[in-house]
Amino acid sequence: MTFPKPERITLYILLAFFIFTSVLPLWTCIMTSIKTAQDVIYTMPLEPPSSPTLDPMMQAFDIMKRPLLNSFAFTIFATILSCTLGSTNGYILAKIRFRGSEVVFLLLAIGIFIPYQTVLIPLVMTISKLGLYNTIQGLILTHTAYGIPICTLLFRSYYEDIPESLMRAAKTDGAGTWTTFRRIVLPLSSPMFAVAGVFQFTSIWNDFLFGLVLARGTDALPASVALANLKGTTTAFWNVQMAGAWWYALPVVIIYLILGKYLIQGYMAGAIKG
Amino acid sequence: MTIKNLTKRYETGVGVEGLNLEIRDGEFFILLGPSGCGKSTTLLCVAGLLRPNSGEIWLGDKLVTSVERDIYVTPQKRGVAMVFQDYALYPHMTAFGNIAFPLQVSGKSKPEVETRVRKAAESLGISQLLDRKPKQLSGGQRQRVALGRAIVREPEVFLMDEPLANLDAKLRVHMRAELKNLHQKLGTTTLYVTHDQVEAMSVGDRIAIQKDGILQQVGTPEDVYDRPRNMFVGGFIGSPAMNMLEGNLVKKDGNVEVDLGISAFELPNRTKEAVKEAKRSEVVLGVRPEHTTITKHQKNAIEANVSFVELIGRELHVHLTAREEPLVAIAEPTERLEVGQQVWLAFDKSKIHIFDKETEEALI
Amino acid sequence: MNLEKDDMYTLLVFLPSLMLVGYFVYASIGWNVIVSLSDWKGLSPSYNIVGLAQYVSLTHDPVFWISLQNNLLLIALFVPGSLLLGLFLAILLSARVRAESTFRTIYLLPFALSFVITASLWAWMYNPSIGVINTLFAAIGLGFLRSGWSTNSSIAIYSIILALIWQFSGYTMLVFLAGIRSIPESQIMAARVDGASGLGLYRRIIIPQLKFPAMAAFVVLMVFALKAFDFIFILTDGGPGYSTYVLPLMMYRETFSMTHFAYGAAVATLLFAVVMVVVVPYLYLSSRRTKA
Repeated sequence: MTFPKPERITLYILLAFFIFTSVLPLWTCIMTSIKTAQDVIYTMPLEPPSSPTLDPMMQAFDIMKRPLLNSFAFTIFATILSCTLGSTNGYILAKIRFRGSEVVFLLLAIGIFIPYQTVLIPLVMTISKLGLYNTIQGLILTHTAYGIPICTLLFRSYYEDIPESLMRAAKTDGAGTWTTFRRIVLPLSSPMFAVAGVFQFTSIWNDFLFGLVLARGTDALPASVALANLKGTTTAFWNVQMAGAWWYALPVVIIYLILGKYLIQGYMAGAIKG
Repeated sequence: MTIKNLTKRYETGVGVEGLNLEIRDGEFFILLGPSGCGKSTTLLCVAGLLRPNSGEIWLGDKLVTSVERDIYVTPQKRGVAMVFQDYALYPHMTAFGNIAFPLQVSGKSKPEVETRVRKAAESLGISQLLDRKPKQLSGGQRQRVALGRAIVREPEVFLMDEPLANLDAKLRVHMRAELKNLHQKLGTTTLYVTHDQVEAMSVGDRIAIQKDGILQQVGTPEDVYDRPRNMFVGGFIGSPAMNMLEGNLVKKDGNVEVDLGISAFELPNRTKEAVKEAKRSEVVLGVRPEHTTITKHQKNAIEANVSFVELIGRELHVHLTAREEPLVAIAEPTERLEVGQQVWLAFDKSKIHIFDKETEEALI
Repeated sequence: MNLEKDDMYTLLVFLPSLMLVGYFVYASIGWNVIVSLSDWKGLSPSYNIVGLAQYVSLTHDPVFWISLQNNLLLIALFVPGSLLLGLFLAILLSARVRAESTFRTIYLLPFALSFVITASLWAWMYNPSIGVINTLFAAIGLGFLRSGWSTNSSIAIYSIILALIWQFSGYTMLVFLAGIRSIPESQIMAARVDGASGLGLYRRIIIPQLKFPAMAAFVVLMVFALKAFDFIFILTDGGPGYSTYVLPLMMYRETFSMTHFAYGAAVATLLFAVVMVVVVPYLYLSSRRTKA
């Protein structure tokens, strides 16, 4: 689409305006997190600090150290588990035609959309009954279970694009269902593992509700809840809060900048495939 | 290979209906027909990749599919090798890996796999391509790798599903010859599916022509060319297609003639018996373009106007109109013909076919 | 297709996932419904069934009505707002723009961030005394536009909606951009030869073909408008007063702060029902469409 000259100028002005709005919150966050409490009160949030300091960052890190570790732990494990299950499930649904596979798929798809409040009470009861309240394992179990539907969906739509003739060739060559999976389908799955992995990592890392409800104590406190606590306290001033937000955001921002295209594919899968 | 009463129906229509075929050991057997005629369905049933609604399939003396007796052998265990239209090469493996795969799956030792793959590659002339991945190979090369994967197993049967369809014309002709060569060398029974009748005629030992799931005729290339059993086969085999003219059988002076409106054709004596059996008098006269001659006015010829002329190198394809219908004749390239010119088209009496207009079956 | 023995083992692999999902999703939903029909209050579970008593109480509860109203506001403002802004951004970017991928990356970044982060950011921005918005307005002479934002009960919910639109517009932009890009170039060229250009081109050719991506994004946004919890919890926790209460938040408070488990379960069940009304027809329709 080409626009004539004067309209192109307006175009860029508009684009720049939206860059401004998109970046504003992030900029103020970064600025605030390197200011002393004095600066926070007396300088404009947009302005850089008169005397930058890494103090708030260190303070925030101290508070968030353990929660960040917790988050890494359960996020990585749950991501690996849900992706693995997603790929085997996706393979079964896409390549092994059996009666009711559409129904099963639909049931899983609904699992993606349910509001988690609906299952919160039973979830809390289950986790505490299993003695997993306030543990990393409890969070891993929860995130894996609720991550299976979306991972299955992602892999299924990916596997449907593998031509049937490839499956047939493997069959006539003598490979059974799982040999075919291991030697033909799995090696071809690496792009999708990237997509599902990145998508799951960010989803689980960003989660708040499950952490809030299942892991309040320090043993398994996720970084998201720790950050929320930071906001609630009166002792942590804005600069520490913003620094904390920065630490928590860091992994996701890095993933977004480096592996962003996989994340985008994950977002699109929901939109295009429906 | 024996196929008995094979029927496979799809939600969208019939695939194959009541098919019966006997294929001899070592034969290069073609399944021919337009798309949707059931040839691929048949092939997939023989491979065990599709389960039919009814019927039986024997490979040698082993019953591999029987709906009636509830017997079904999985594709993995049938000892058949298949070549697909899109080659179905495993994209993440090298050519070597692709060819080696079936051997590895059946647990052959590494040295054995190595020797057999190299042997197969050499016989197909692709030894130097073994380290490459499919996306680095040309269409013809991929085809050979797919063939390699099939022959390396030394199977009882080859199944080929339009393997040459995706190659460009020149390569196709070349590969046809190669396939024929390979077959002569290995002597393996081959079931080959194609929609290209030229291909079928040139490589097949026998051809089975299918239409809409129903077998039309089985025979050698000469059989189906010289003695088509119905209008469909007559029109399908041979290029340009057989000319079809509607007419009526008329008894005249003790002879039987075909009255085409604008002229009448006396039928040769040998056909009189067959024609006497005819239930109806409405018939269609079929004659191939290569069995017609452009001449002057004579008996047993039909008047026609030249509509246009195509020079195909060594022959002239003359398109004519007679009684408002299009006809094609083949003439020498040196013939001088003009558009609109009125000529007489004579038919070779010994090569005429008469079809019952309604049942479309051949009377002679 | 009939099953072969080989495939039987396959289903064994499927089983653990099916059981996990079956339990954590479907059995749990059922369990929740049962709780909503009980009179459980306090820390020890009680399963006396009292029928729809909890639901009836809901209808008399002003907090419920405020929450419902806010959710409806979200649906009415947040959903169209995000769609429109996203569409606008997508149209802007669809004009061959230099450094397009940089623009895209920046616009989409908010969506990748956790709600905890964005809520913290906006809490700071909305701070009436030293937050960036008010100080910026003052600095450029628009001091009269200053307000309590999320601390002002009459406009708090709108402040929230604004922030959420900010966060989601990158996503809707992505969806629409993909939709626009999927229209074959030859169609655009044909339209231009036929005389369409500029706005007309968009209005008549491009936008009508964005129906499907719009629908998908619409469903995602709708469901979010109903289940948004994290962001609101962090930014205002339902306040000031109850002015930014939404159903998920109400459920959380009733259940975990006030231990009215059965009551909370009732809210949750209602929430589920409403979300299903939106989602199920959509899933059904789209599975029909892919089959056709």
